[in-house]
Amino acid sequence: MDSFITTFHIDWKIIVAQTINFIIVLGVLYFLIVKPLKQLMKERSANIEGGLNDAKTNAILLANTKKEYDEIVSSARTEAHTIFQEGKKEAETKKAEMIEAAKNEVDTMILNGKKVLESEKAKIIEEAKQEIVSLVVLATEKLLESHPNEKFESKSIDQLKNI
Amino acid sequence: MSIVNTENTTIETTALVPAISNAPEEISHESTLYAEPIAHFGSFTVTNALFTSWVVVFILIIISIIVKISIKKIPKGIQNLFEIVIEEAELLCDQVTNSRTITNKAFPIVFAVFMFVLLNNWMGILPLGGLGFIEIGEHSKAFIPLFRSGTADINGTLPLAVLSVIGANIFGVISIGLWKTINKYVNLNALGGMFTKVKKDPMILMTAPIMFAVGLLELVGEFAKIASLSFRLFGNVFAGEVLLASMGALMAYILPTPFLLLEVLVGVIQAFIFAILTLVYYTISNMDHEHDENEEHSKKGELVSSH
Repeated sequence: MDSFITTFHIDWKIIVAQTINFIIVLGVLYFLIVKPLKQLMKERSANIEGGLNDAKTNAILLANTKKEYDEIVSSARTEAHTIFQEGKKEAETKKAEMIEAAKNEVDTMILNGKKVLESEKAKIIEEAKQEIVSLVVLATEKLLESHPNEKFESKSIDQLKNI
Repeated sequence: MSIVNTENTTIETTALVPAISNAPEEISHESTLYAEPIAHFGSFTVTNALFTSWVVVFILIIISIIVKISIKKIPKGIQNLFEIVIEEAELLCDQVTNSRTITNKAFPIVFAVFMFVLLNNWMGILPLGGLGFIEIGEHSKAFIPLFRSGTADINGTLPLAVLSVIGANIFGVISIGLWKTINKYVNLNALGGMFTKVKKDPMILMTAPIMFAVGLLELVGEFAKIASLSFRLFGNVFAGEVLLASMGALMAYILPTPFLLLEVLVGVIQAFIFAILTLVYYTISNMDHEHDENEEHSKKGELVSSH
């Protein structure tokens, strides 16, 4: 052992000094390089992982939203089609009703017009009759005045009465 | 160049530094097995290896401060480099430990070991051989280089190995408990089992002493680990420095260049080996042998019962 110590000049003070050197290196490397860098790398990995998870979540959300959008658009189209069909039907019914009402009104107006016309006609005929009677009477009077005859007069009066 | 084995087992090389050869008296350039003293503070001797280690510590502190200052959310430059190194090193450690929890606990120590050993290895092969001073002895003058790799001195590698092995055992105590860690080396459980389990399994009278002896061998193995770690690193780095000095003496400037590149690689490999072995010791110390044995017994029992 002594020869070993002498040959290699083993000195416990230098061993202690080298131990301290290594401990300093260990501390410095750990606190200034390894620990902060590992912490940073860990945070970065967590951020990247979080980002990837967010992207996945967003992709799922996007897909769901698209699906929902498609469903809404599809249902809106169906609803619009139904509303349009209903509207069309209603419009046709209304149209038919209006046409019917117009027809009825026209018929009523025609009927009324006919009635008015007939009453007017009857009135005109009556007036014409009255006119003719008065003209006949006047003509008869004039004729009687020019030909005084009792027989003729009574005959004419009878004829007038028949009119 | 002449290689002379003296009392202190020194390898003498000449013409390492051309500027020195102009001196009137011949100055020896020796690659000694031990680090040369360059200063004294009372009873404390500062060797060139220790001085190099201080320089390494200073460099690492500067690098660490630069990295700490430059830390931003979006990495750039040196931060990017260290992030890549840490990430890849952790993946490598995972392959050894098979557990991110153990990696997280052991990584700072392993990383510090790697950086400290690597920079020390490289500092020794920096072409700064001319930096130093001439020590005038009784009979001759000797050139003392200012820089010598901290790992080319057993006083530098020994504390690292001791810290590595002791650290692993402390880690074991924290992970699996003091009793189980002690039982790895002084297997009292096995001895106790001789009395408690003898009725169930009489073979325990044979196996328990063997288990106890194996435990003692494990204890010896811990010292072997310290020796192997420290001497492997010291031997490789010191041999590299001697090799470079020898090549430089044979043909200065040209011949050492490929060996210099080789030593750069050797520096990385040795640092890597030291760090990985440290990690392996940490991983082994985290294993609960007793638990594994019990699991094996229970599996055997299940197999027997199923048959």
